[in-house]
Amino acid sequence: MADRPVTCTLSDEALLAGLGSGDPGAAAAFVDRFQRRVFGMTLSVLQDRQAAEEAAQEAFVRAWRHSSTYDPRKGTVAAWLLMIARNVSINMLPSHRSYPVDPGMLRELQDPVPSQGPDGQLAPVSEPMRKALMRLPAEQRRVLVLAVFYGYTAREMSEQDETPVGTVKTRIRAALMRLRSELGVSDEW
Amino acid sequence: MGCDRVRELVAELAIGIADGRERDAAMRHAVTCPDCRQLVCELSAVVDDLLLLAPSHEPPPGFTAETVARIFPPSPGFTAETVARIFPQPAARHRRVSWPAARHVLPNRRWLPRLAAAASIVAALALGAGAVYQGTSSDRQLAASYRAVLAQGHGSFFVAAPLRGPAGTVGTVFGYQGRPSWLFATVHLPHSSGQRFAVQLITRDGRDVPAGSVVLGGANQAWGAQIPVDLTTLTQLRFVAASGQITMVANLNASSPWGPG
Repeated sequence: MADRPVTCTLSDEALLAGLGSGDPGAAAAFVDRFQRRVFGMTLSVLQDRQAAEEAAQEAFVRAWRHSSTYDPRKGTVAAWLLMIARNVSINMLPSHRSYPVDPGMLRELQDPVPSQGPDGQLAPVSEPMRKALMRLPAEQRRVLVLAVFYGYTAREMSEQDETPVGTVKTRIRAALMRLRSELGVSDEW
Repeated sequence: MGCDRVRELVAELAIGIADGRERDAAMRHAVTCPDCRQLVCELSAVVDDLLLLAPSHEPPPGFTAETVARIFPPSPGFTAETVARIFPQPAARHRRVSWPAARHVLPNRRWLPRLAAAASIVAALALGAGAVYQGTSSDRQLAASYRAVLAQGHGSFFVAAPLRGPAGTVGTVFGYQGRPSWLFATVHLPHSSGQRFAVQLITRDGRDVPAGSVVLGGANQAWGAQIPVDLTTLTQLRFVAASGQITMVANLNASSPWGPG
């Protein structure tokens, strides 16, 4: 079977610019390039394929609408888009969502080789980051994942886990600072 | 708010879960404090990298086409009917489809609008290519336009072929080579009630790949499915009646993808 044809070697930024300019070709290429990651994000948060598809489409629509606000100095297109996808997904979660004691995202991240699209869409930083995340103390790792991927606030986690809010805040901060510290010495990986 | 308080909140700021009032106060401070601003930026970068860990999952078939159609909606009159008009083959009059036995190939009816949307997108692009041709009468430009169509379709190709029955052409088959590849057939059958057909894909090496079954006729005048093989390996799409008779056949000459086989 023919493998995936190479149709576009434009940078992520160029495709985003094309999307923003209203070029359907660029839009198709942009969606094609990021659809697995965006759908993966929305599916991980929503745990429902139909809702995840709706959220993923909405994320691309918002990316198109707000493409002019993307600032490459503040991060990659992928991270910007995934943040949009995360926010859309969180907004779509039911108000009475069940609190994930054992977040599905956390289980998936324990995989030594994270799920990866057929086109190898995994940023080089991901594996060191995943390892660093897995080295965090379990309680820090859990609250960080709940905050970053599911949008839980420190107060919400405090109430659900019956843990002082200050403790939750400290765990989140300690986790993020430690990741920053570890990834700041990336030459050692 | 001072540096100490901002540094207590900095992780929540970077993640985007800080309380609104605290966030506003902290950001006002960060605007005037380079050190705090730098820390927020660095932790935001860590959060960005964390988001990149989100596992990839294959979206449903037709996702790209549907999404692009949502961003750039087709013109009001541009529907699956338009597809049939663009390709000068007998068009279907109905679009409802029934494929109860084909669910292992086609999980649910949500596929049909996906396939129709995908066909519409590709056909819309083909229409654009046609417009270029009309305006320039240039074969070279037409070829370039079709290459653009291919690019829109993710570097794959799109074919159309007549679906023939014993009495002549009874419909049109559209095929798309991509991720995934799919076939979509529209028919114009006079039967007052539907008739069940087994759908078969015949490959170049003579294999018969079942693609479920469908009731066609009456209100059901279309069939569509993702195909489990490369479109270039197919020579025929067959609809086989319960009696075993091959009732309708489309020749898919994918080695010459721009014309019916």
